[in-house]
Amino acid sequence: MKRQIEITQPMIDGYGRINGDNDIIHYDHDYAVQRGFRGTLLHGPHMTAFAADLGAKRYGKDWLTRGKLHTKWIGPVCPGDAFVAEVTENGELTATSGGKTVMVGSVTLAG
Amino acid sequence: MTRPSEIKPREGSVPGTPYATFAEGAQLGPVSFDITPEIVQEYFTASQADPSLYVVDGRQAAAPNVILPYMTVPVYQTYPPIQGIVMAELEMNWHRPIWADETTRVTATGTIVSKFEKRGRKYVQWRGVFADDKGQPLAELLNTFHVPE
Repeated sequence: MKRQIEITQPMIDGYGRINGDNDIIHYDHDYAVQRGFRGTLLHGPHMTAFAADLGAKRYGKDWLTRGKLHTKWIGPVCPGDAFVAEVTENGELTATSGGKTVMVGSVTLAG
Repeated sequence: MTRPSEIKPREGSVPGTPYATFAEGAQLGPVSFDITPEIVQEYFTASQADPSLYVVDGRQAAAPNVILPYMTVPVYQTYPPIQGIVMAELEMNWHRPIWADETTRVTATGTIVSKFEKRGRKYVQWRGVFADDKGQPLAELLNTFHVPE
């Protein structure tokens, strides 16, 4: 099961509006580059939300009462990237962005 | 309606918390907020989610991760964030639906579990519980973030 999303700065800005943060690493390209990144960063929980949709797709209504989501953010996702999240049959989660692995974890149900 | 920005100190709005100040075992919250139908809809849009995945017996539920924009409220109310915090890891379990057609009163509490250094970076790990107005847990999480220096 796979989901692909093209990342844009307006998407990051929209998530930032509901997230209510003011961390310039998400909005100020020059600051993000100064910190050593390719550009501004997609919020980690925004990445997680992409994976959560895969859990809902796989497990249906059980996802709302027994869903378990584990995400480890291991790489940056920047505007212009193609973000791809994939969940295997046994619930292992891997996401790549710009061709590199950026998030790993699992999407499962509690026993 | 409670927007996360109303209850979450924003970076730069108040002096941020250096790594040394975080205390293992510190209690976080309680802090309460309302997730309204408007927030549920805005979250669907902002997270590029598909609402049709969250329909239960004909009733629209929220994506359970609608909690995520509020995730750091308990820890940031106690320890206002500095600029440049980077999220590292999250484990989250959901227990009850949050419905899209009603307002849900949520109370969040938490504990600082540990602080540690790894590969020269400093991290804080905390656990949170988000409960409804009957005290029943909606979601629980374990979150780790990197505090820059």
